[in-house]
Amino acid sequence: MPDSGYPWPIETTRLDNGLRVVVSEDRTAPAVAVNLWYDVGSRHEPQGQTGFAHLFEHLMFEGSVNVAKTEHMKLIQGSGGSLNATTNPDRTNYFETVPAEHLELAFWLEADRMGGLVPALTQETLDNQRDVVKNERRQRYENVPYGDAWLRLLPLLYPPGHPYHHATIGSMADLNAADLATFQAFHRTYYAPNNAVLTVVGDASAAEVFALADKYFGGIPARADIPPAPDGRTVPATGRPAVETVTAEVPAPRVYVAHRTHPFGSAGYDVVTVLAAVLGSGRGSRLYQRLADGERIAQPDLVGAYGVDLAHAPAPLIATATARPGVGAERLAAGLHAVVDELATVPVTAAELDRAKALLSTAWWRQMSTVDGRADTLGRYATQFGDPAKAAERLPAWLAVTAEQIAEAAAEVLAADDRVTLTYLAEEKP
Amino acid sequence: MTLITARPGPGAARPYRFPPVVRRTVAGGRVVAAHLPGQNLAVALLLLDAGAEREPVGKEGLGGVLAKALEEGTAQRDAAAYALAVEGLGTELVAGLDWDSFQVSVQVPVDRLNAAVELLAEAVRTPRLDPADVARVRDDEATALRMDWANPGPRADAALRADLFGAENRWGRPMYGDPDSVAGLDVEDVRVFHSEWFIRPGTLIVAGDLDRVDLDALAAAAFAGTGGGPVERGGPIQTPPRAERRIILVDRPGSVQSTLRLGHPSPHRAHPDHVPMTLAGTVLGGAFTSRLNHLIREVRGYTYGIRGDFASSRRFGRFAVSSGVQTAVTAPALVESVGEIARTQSGGVTEEELAVARSWRAGQLSVELQTPRAIASALTTLVVHDLPDDYHARLREALLAADVEQVSAAAAAHLHADSLTLVVEGDAAVIRDELAASGLGDIVDVAPGSRR
Repeated sequence: MPDSGYPWPIETTRLDNGLRVVVSEDRTAPAVAVNLWYDVGSRHEPQGQTGFAHLFEHLMFEGSVNVAKTEHMKLIQGSGGSLNATTNPDRTNYFETVPAEHLELAFWLEADRMGGLVPALTQETLDNQRDVVKNERRQRYENVPYGDAWLRLLPLLYPPGHPYHHATIGSMADLNAADLATFQAFHRTYYAPNNAVLTVVGDASAAEVFALADKYFGGIPARADIPPAPDGRTVPATGRPAVETVTAEVPAPRVYVAHRTHPFGSAGYDVVTVLAAVLGSGRGSRLYQRLADGERIAQPDLVGAYGVDLAHAPAPLIATATARPGVGAERLAAGLHAVVDELATVPVTAAELDRAKALLSTAWWRQMSTVDGRADTLGRYATQFGDPAKAAERLPAWLAVTAEQIAEAAAEVLAADDRVTLTYLAEEKP
Repeated sequence: MTLITARPGPGAARPYRFPPVVRRTVAGGRVVAAHLPGQNLAVALLLLDAGAEREPVGKEGLGGVLAKALEEGTAQRDAAAYALAVEGLGTELVAGLDWDSFQVSVQVPVDRLNAAVELLAEAVRTPRLDPADVARVRDDEATALRMDWANPGPRADAALRADLFGAENRWGRPMYGDPDSVAGLDVEDVRVFHSEWFIRPGTLIVAGDLDRVDLDALAAAAFAGTGGGPVERGGPIQTPPRAERRIILVDRPGSVQSTLRLGHPSPHRAHPDHVPMTLAGTVLGGAFTSRLNHLIREVRGYTYGIRGDFASSRRFGRFAVSSGVQTAVTAPALVESVGEIARTQSGGVTEEELAVARSWRAGQLSVELQTPRAIASALTTLVVHDLPDDYHARLREALLAADVEQVSAAAAAHLHADSLTLVVEGDAAVIRDELAASGLGDIVDVAPGSRR
């Protein structure tokens, strides 16, 4: 068993304005990954402003005081780099991987949009990116079969007012109502150096990175009173199952079973992570063996289970299966429920446990095999747990999970009377 | 507030290196490996000459069914025991194909590579292929394709391919087949395809820390029991561009977006214009800052994204643009996309655009070629296209040396705006009149579910 999941050096500092800087030097390839985690996500959005954190992410690519509109992309790609950004309920992150000689360019661009976005933000840019985001919503959620499953699961899992109740993409109505002043205020409120972690992994030394961070980010003032998101740590059990059935233009019945578990990063969630792999990763998993192979009621490529790694409230565990031709939704749901229920009653064998841990180990090292994967991981642990070095603890924690702990966790968080079941039925053809 | 106003220049460029390549012949098969010192993960990939092009016309999807059937038990153990053995090593068998090759691979911590390759070879060389299992896998694959074809995209892709290359040719039909072609396969077809193509040794690709790998042992496992030599492959296929532009309308009633696929045939992979053509495609539709993405997404807000590129295999190639746009702006999005293609064809590229494209493509070689999987894929390119060990270093030089004249000439020679096939998958009742009025070309209809 490895005693560390992160066998590379980690050095950290904090600038006077509160920006935390994390560096992990690795000279293997002539590239550096730069990653900024801002501690703001859709969980911070008040009612009527859903989708704003994500729309804001788009605006961050549209120019700032010293960077012209679209120049950000052009300069990074023109240096040979890759870049993107993502928003989820917990946080927003921005990242680029560039040939090492362009590290300073990446810092200049990131600092300029951290400290100088608001003066460059125009109504025209907002209107254009609002259209782009509405197209993203159509493309990813509305125009594909089952595309809205996540949008439907969240309100079933989390009550109104909970920070995870609404989806990050937001509603069309809220996006339409978004005004410029709200976005200017959004940036002033959350895009402060003391609300961010800057991580650099790859072909650069800590001393060099710290000096450049101070040069480019050091002049951006801290913000004293960043409002926290609503507290969602406690979600009372409802004591009754939540059931939703959707009839839609889908090619086959599909069932999702979801439970609230523990926050990502907790010991309880480590158990859930291994449990999810036993339940739904790969052809040796219980769901595959029982539903795809054994009873043959589920399509083999579309059966699985996974945890959604959210850290600020009990995170969801989702299991799903799609019916083989001729199999009804009720039979499929019964099969799925039975396999989930059995996690509490049929002990996980040593072979099942070893298989799950071996798959998780490979998945971990795959994430660690790139500088960008490592940078994102360190940024996460610094942001969510206050210390990037805690990343090293995750893999050993998974490997220490026992069969007894899985059975206990299943009894505790997978109870049938606190379960969400979402079923898609195929529309009758006229 | 103090922000640095001046954009910094680059630091000293680091030298580019592709990992050292080792080639040897062992036990009748070829081994091509790259040394990645200190890397914990390793990848082994068995490359077989059994790409989609080897499938007979009318039997599209054979390779895909066989890929799944390999895991339904071997001469030594049943499917459940096989899954447990493979996943107990922390890996999975990844099997797939493209036009030129069939690939089966494993990715594991390096100390388990030998055991993983033994299991890989067991499935590839001695699968059980029990008729009942093969029939079930075939039916599951047909169902999986039906699921996939319920999404926007696959029907449009198929319509474009058929129009470009002719549905009478294997390369005019979808690479993975369609739901009907797969449903119509016989069990015996699958067994024959295996005996014809999966017993030949092929090439074993390895990417990992070679100090901790015994290549000869891996090769012995991979090539045990194999026989038969290489089989002749056909030469490049020349497909002339169409005389006129046309619109193919694939009906998707109620769709909130129109899925666009625009394209025409282009040269095969070994064509001498490969590098300038790639760069012309990058300026037009490759990078985020491409002409198409800038106009259609950033200026007009019609789409979440639009991409265009030249893609090629050993025998043929195509230029294609793909996007999804709001239904209401289908016609203007098409008109403006065709306009950008025509402008690039007639006017070429600018030095400013090309500077971004060439350094992006060149820089991507250092940024993207980090993982054992990425390196294994790069080695696969060397083998499939008969390229030398220093190919990637030379490619980098060629990309950086390409000038405006060469790239503009490639755009003029290989873009054909007046010959484009414009496939639109969307709500025909809503968009038909507008498309007809656009003047882009005649409309051809494709009925739902029909095979062209």
